[in-house]
Amino acid sequence: MGTRIRELFAFRDFLRNMIVTELKLRYRDSVLGFLWTVLNPLFFLLILAAVFSKILRVQVPNYTIFLLSGLTSWLMIQQTVVIATASIVGNQGFIKKIYVPKIVFPLASVLARYVDHLLLTLVLFGFMAANRMPATWGLLALVPVILMHFFFSFGLALIAAVLYVRIKDIQHILGILFQALFYATPILYAADQLPAGFRVIFRFNPLTYFVVCFRAPVYAGSFPPLKDFLIALGLTAVVFTVGLIVFYRHEREFVFHLT
Amino acid sequence: MNGDAVRIAGLGVRFFLQYEKGPGRDGAPSLVRRRGRRELWALRGLDLAIGKGEIFGVIGANGAGKSTLLKVLAGIFPPTEGAIAVDGKLAPFIELGAAFNPELTGAENVFLTGSIYRVPRREIKANFNRIVEFAELRNFIDTPVKNYSSGMFVRLAFSSILFFRPDILLVDEVFSVGDEAFQQKSFEKVVAFKASGATVIIVSHDSGLVGRICDRALVLDQGKMSFLGPAGEAVEHYHGLLMEGKGLATGERPGRLTDGAPSTPLSQSHITRRAESGGGDVGASSGPVLSTAVESAADITADPRRWGNKLVRITSVKFFGPDGKERFEFRTGEPFEARIAYDSKLGPEPPVFGVAFNTIYRLLIHGPNTLAAPAMGEYKPSGTVRFIVPRLPLLPGDYLFSASSYDKTLQTAYDHHEQMYHFRVAGRNEGEFGCVRIDARWEFGAP
Repeated sequence: MGTRIRELFAFRDFLRNMIVTELKLRYRDSVLGFLWTVLNPLFFLLILAAVFSKILRVQVPNYTIFLLSGLTSWLMIQQTVVIATASIVGNQGFIKKIYVPKIVFPLASVLARYVDHLLLTLVLFGFMAANRMPATWGLLALVPVILMHFFFSFGLALIAAVLYVRIKDIQHILGILFQALFYATPILYAADQLPAGFRVIFRFNPLTYFVVCFRAPVYAGSFPPLKDFLIALGLTAVVFTVGLIVFYRHEREFVFHLT
Repeated sequence: MNGDAVRIAGLGVRFFLQYEKGPGRDGAPSLVRRRGRRELWALRGLDLAIGKGEIFGVIGANGAGKSTLLKVLAGIFPPTEGAIAVDGKLAPFIELGAAFNPELTGAENVFLTGSIYRVPRREIKANFNRIVEFAELRNFIDTPVKNYSSGMFVRLAFSSILFFRPDILLVDEVFSVGDEAFQQKSFEKVVAFKASGATVIIVSHDSGLVGRICDRALVLDQGKMSFLGPAGEAVEHYHGLLMEGKGLATGERPGRLTDGAPSTPLSQSHITRRAESGGGDVGASSGPVLSTAVESAADITADPRRWGNKLVRITSVKFFGPDGKERFEFRTGEPFEARIAYDSKLGPEPPVFGVAFNTIYRLLIHGPNTLAAPAMGEYKPSGTVRFIVPRLPLLPGDYLFSASSYDKTLQTAYDHHEQMYHFRVAGRNEGEFGCVRIDARWEFGAP
């Protein structure tokens, strides 16, 4: 493990170049370019807010903040994983011709995504300020919470990327899975707004814990509930470790499966 | 690792060919091991050490495992068995520009490539101007690489790697990069590298080049070490293999005989076998069936060097010396004859037959046909046509030969075999350079 970390460190410039390249290229040919990373979720949020608060009349105070905070947390995981899935296959040009430690590719993808996520978080703070919500000490808890999101999504991304090399269906399956999970996560509604029977689904959905931990400091101004925090921490540790193991175990085979 | 740049012990690389066969075959769980006839050992039992500062050559026929060895050295393929140790920074000159992102500018790509070779940013900056100058791209360095011509692309790639001072260079037929002047410049730079202590590993079909430049060489034959030693002797050994019919110019390998079987006599040479397997005829040779899909990982599809509607089929191409015996090796100035056996489904009118001589680098030397120089003798719908050269002007080297039959307008190909045949002109270039001897003499005299 030590050698791998040292190796990755030796390739840090390459990693940085990959991230910078991705960010650069995204807005190079478009007018709004980088803005879309914020505009996309923003519009999604506005539509959802309109539908759920005005039309369906979900009774939650400060619904916009409720929704946006849940959404930010959700996207931190969903977007990261779905996009990083293709990071190995998408870089097969490199892999088939030059030696680089393969983990650079999903890592670069994930890090580039987190630039977006952090941007969105800033926008979220903007909304909070606009709504005159006080900045509390609870916000400090966001630091470890976001770190958990990062390692959890990175672990998932590693597993997805490995699977995708052999089984192209993974991308579709993941997409559908997340679609379904979206409604099983307390983003649109709080857990206690659903009939008791449904609340169980929330408890079994790992993403619930991340959303709850993220939303608490933002929406309620409090520290994340200890139980949920610990569960999220545990999930992060497991998924990240499994991700690393799976990735390194299969790393050598990638080149044989890339056309 | 003491003085060794590369040490290889018991190296083997195995492929499972069905992975390369497209959809419908993958999805099997990785717990299941696949064995059997689909397995291909591209390399097996390699043991060697390459010292620092050596210029080391690797030669062998197509499919012998040269490019697989290169890729293992470059860290792209992991060894299936055995081990490989590399001491120093290794830069592959194969697939130049592999790291280039077409959307980025030349300058950005130089930095990107440098980071792949773990060159610190400030070192790239320090060398940047020299890289651009060497590649002669001062005016284009800030445009996206997708707008470059292929020559520019390759010059920039070559130039950037050169300046990152790798300890070990892996070179592969790459001296056909850019124009003459650039090739010369690059060649000099590589030689200078060697002088500064870098190790150079050259993989090539050009046995002459390897013999001239390298200290030692390895001959690969079907993935196994066939010879390891001084370059000159290695080249001789390689030519010996060619004489046994393990030919050079095909994408196929001759059918695999069981180990220890005697090599085939020249009358059943690889030349005959190739022509027949291409056409699918029942021929005189009853050699082992070529099953190209399994025998060679490199050649899964039908031979792209042959095409035509087959109305006049070329069934064999053989070379003969002055004694009327079939040969594979000639000497400059000797009589040479290419005998093309054909079978026509058309009427009594002869088609146009053509041949072509190419150097090993595919340069066309001469491509005559019977339209320009009609054939003597009586034409029969099934027979042979001979291309007779009283004095072969070709200088020592390896050559590729094409044979074809066309209609009178040269528009419709009946059967075209493009550079499918190989012969050698033996000997050493004694003070003469090039591929052709022009018949001439020198004379002093008054102006």
